[in-house]
Amino acid sequence: MKFAILVLAFFQAAAPLYVPEFEDIAERAGLVHTFPNGGTVSKQYIIETTGSGAAFLDYDNDGRLDIFVASGEGAPSRLYHNEGNNRFRDVSTAMAITRTGWAQGVCAGDYDNDGYIDLFVTYWGRNALYHNEAGKRFRDVTEQAGLLQERVRYNTGCAFVDYDRDGRLDLFVANYLKFSFEETPKPGANPYCWYMQMPVNCGPRGLPFDRNILYHANADGTFTDVSVKSGIAAPNQSYCLSVLTGDFDNDGWPDIYVACDQTPSLLYLNQHDGTFREEALLRGAALNEDGKAMSGMGASAGDYAHTGWLSIFRSNFSDERETLYRNNGRAEFEDITLAAGMGRNTRFVGWGCAFFDFDNDGWRDLALVNGHVFPEVDRKQTDVRFKDRRILYRNIQGKFNDISEQAGSGILARHSSRGLAVGDIDNDGTLELLINNQGDRPSLLKQASRPPDHWVVLDLKGTRSNRSAIGARVVLTAAGLKQIDEIRSGGSYLSQNDLRLHFGLGSATRTDSIEILWPSGTRQTLSNVEGGRVVGITEPATGK
Amino acid sequence: MRVISLCLLLASAMGRAQSDPLIAGMKAYARGDYPAAERELRRSQDPQAITFLALTLAATNRCDEAMPSLAKGFNSAESSTQRLAGLAVAQCHISAARFDEATPILSQLKAKFPGDADVLYVSARLHMRAWNDALYQLYKASPSSYRVNQISGEILETQGQFAAAASEYRKAIEKNPEGLNLHFRLGRALLMSSHEPATLETALHEFEAELAHNPRDAVAHYQIAQILLAQDKVTEASARLERALQLDENFPEALVALGKQRLTDKRNEDAVRLLSRAAELQPKSETAHYNLMLAYRNAGRLDDARREKDKLEAIQKPPDGGFTDFLKKLGEKPPAK
Repeated sequence: MKFAILVLAFFQAAAPLYVPEFEDIAERAGLVHTFPNGGTVSKQYIIETTGSGAAFLDYDNDGRLDIFVASGEGAPSRLYHNEGNNRFRDVSTAMAITRTGWAQGVCAGDYDNDGYIDLFVTYWGRNALYHNEAGKRFRDVTEQAGLLQERVRYNTGCAFVDYDRDGRLDLFVANYLKFSFEETPKPGANPYCWYMQMPVNCGPRGLPFDRNILYHANADGTFTDVSVKSGIAAPNQSYCLSVLTGDFDNDGWPDIYVACDQTPSLLYLNQHDGTFREEALLRGAALNEDGKAMSGMGASAGDYAHTGWLSIFRSNFSDERETLYRNNGRAEFEDITLAAGMGRNTRFVGWGCAFFDFDNDGWRDLALVNGHVFPEVDRKQTDVRFKDRRILYRNIQGKFNDISEQAGSGILARHSSRGLAVGDIDNDGTLELLINNQGDRPSLLKQASRPPDHWVVLDLKGTRSNRSAIGARVVLTAAGLKQIDEIRSGGSYLSQNDLRLHFGLGSATRTDSIEILWPSGTRQTLSNVEGGRVVGITEPATGK
Repeated sequence: MRVISLCLLLASAMGRAQSDPLIAGMKAYARGDYPAAERELRRSQDPQAITFLALTLAATNRCDEAMPSLAKGFNSAESSTQRLAGLAVAQCHISAARFDEATPILSQLKAKFPGDADVLYVSARLHMRAWNDALYQLYKASPSSYRVNQISGEILETQGQFAAAASEYRKAIEKNPEGLNLHFRLGRALLMSSHEPATLETALHEFEAELAHNPRDAVAHYQIAQILLAQDKVTEASARLERALQLDENFPEALVALGKQRLTDKRNEDAVRLLSRAAELQPKSETAHYNLMLAYRNAGRLDDARREKDKLEAIQKPPDGGFTDFLKKLGEKPPAK
């Protein structure tokens, strides 16, 4: 018996690992438009450096993921309809998504629970709440929803989140800093406007801070700014970019993590009474292991080691390590970047990032997209470049192995990337990566072949909870592994992933069990669910 | 510099008529019209005119003629006169490359006028000129010395040209294989020159080579430990850090690094002990306080953790990290104890 186990273990260990080959299919998929974001040789202002995000969402409920790509000044943001067969059609005009401006972030959620996913787009300037009119078109309802702002703000990441669990999606909007073309110094004007002995765009250091915003959703479809009374407005000494929601302390209430640039990142812990307490520093998720603030750009949450707690990955600047904060339980984090096998890719400026299981082995891998903020850096001819490749880490039982060089031309292609969204565009159980590249067309990375392991995608619909089921926690057990994940709006870098949850099942063709904790508090358990398909699950009308 | 001091002096002479040659001479000096200043000041019988005439002569490269009067002015009881004359004397010595004579003058001025921008500026000029002069002599007298390559490497490092710096250190090592610190500097330059993981291994060899010359170099052990940590060789890294602390028990960075390892190993009390010592030695170290905060937190000592958090936040308030980081990148070792 012992011998048999040893032999089995040997064969398991010796089995060759699936090697993905990611190809960029954007052009043949119809994603051919260029999305400008300021200069590509030189950038005069910081506003040219931070945009923009991308989103996967199924706006017409046809079961196929559509695409939204946010644009900087000079071209409109665009909406693409999934036509099937990996083809997309630009429907921006028909769907009334035609606005131009400095679009930054995007997040999705059915804020009025009418069964159609709505879209929120942040801007330097006026944000946009697009109400989905039964999948036929979008209507800009920003003003009537009470979301106009009193002044020009540099809004960045956003997320719909039902922070008070009243069944309606509230809205969190991160703010970067106070910026205007008139008042911001020009390149080289002060010590914060230099890099590698070159004059470059100024900031964020030296530019004034702003604060984050929390809007509470009212029953009538409007929102009220509750930033001050909720405690969100209080810490205002950070340059905030990405928003990542999740129940980090497993208390059943959504918390909010915000990745911040050159300043401490923030962790707002939900106090269950409509308020939050910001505790990132003491919880160990604000700084790096040396107690220094990093240039936090994007953030992703995942239980990469099957501990039952959501850990956080954050992308940072060049000459900084990316940061993996392991959640040791109760939202007490530890920077274990090096011990986890990361931290060696220090030449990149990282942005969009996502835990995702590309090989369906049940262990969440990680993708990271890169691109420098200063195009001028290319003049120095060092190994730090404005356009650079992506990074793909394979998760081997909780340790990460950089397999970028073997992962296909789509990973190795060089762009100055920002937003990254993950989703399954053809419902085949392998995940695609949508990337917003500055001054370029987007990338849509698809694997050339399908991994051998099995999968299931869960499509949750709330009834007592918000219709999008945002905040629902799923515990899935299969092939001896217990995985957790949550449905979340926003995340990565200013982007929106597929709202459905994808799980790799390893060698199992069925799940052992699926437990769902809905935001309403309802618990639901399903067992022996067959994999290899998208499973729709509706929240029970009653029950605890 | 001239304007502030002159305002004081002019104010003290305000009772005089505008036609007084002292006043006219001081005003001409203040606006840089040295011929007019000299003309007026030579006409004046006032004792103050002697100092200002000397200042004028010094400003027009006639230090030899000015020096006796400037020396008297520097010994004056009147502090503005003393300051102006002292600065002029120092400038004259610097111009004549008499750096040893300028040094005590500026030391006195710094003691009497601490934080004075003009005094600090002239002090900086002194060191810059002295540096340039010594460097010139080194290049001229011993152009093929390994020291020329070593200093070239150090200059290139300050300019961010780490690959070129590494090349100079290699030349220095070729000329003097036994030279202390050369392998250490080369290792540092290599680490700064590239983001490639392979560079870690090359740099590690250089630190090992440094240890071959000086096995008691705690900083080299520490650098090796950092590389081993980056390579996820935790046990070996810890051993190196322990060795570094055997050699220098008050090495704050090594205490912090080992404390962090103890933290990861959940040896919280050991971590607290090491990190507390580091924080004592370097009260402004954010790394020490941050990890001490986490060690207390992990040990369940939340009040202590919050106290460290407060200290950390107080340290982190000023956003002056850039220049400090720049200095760190120069790879200076801590001063020898």
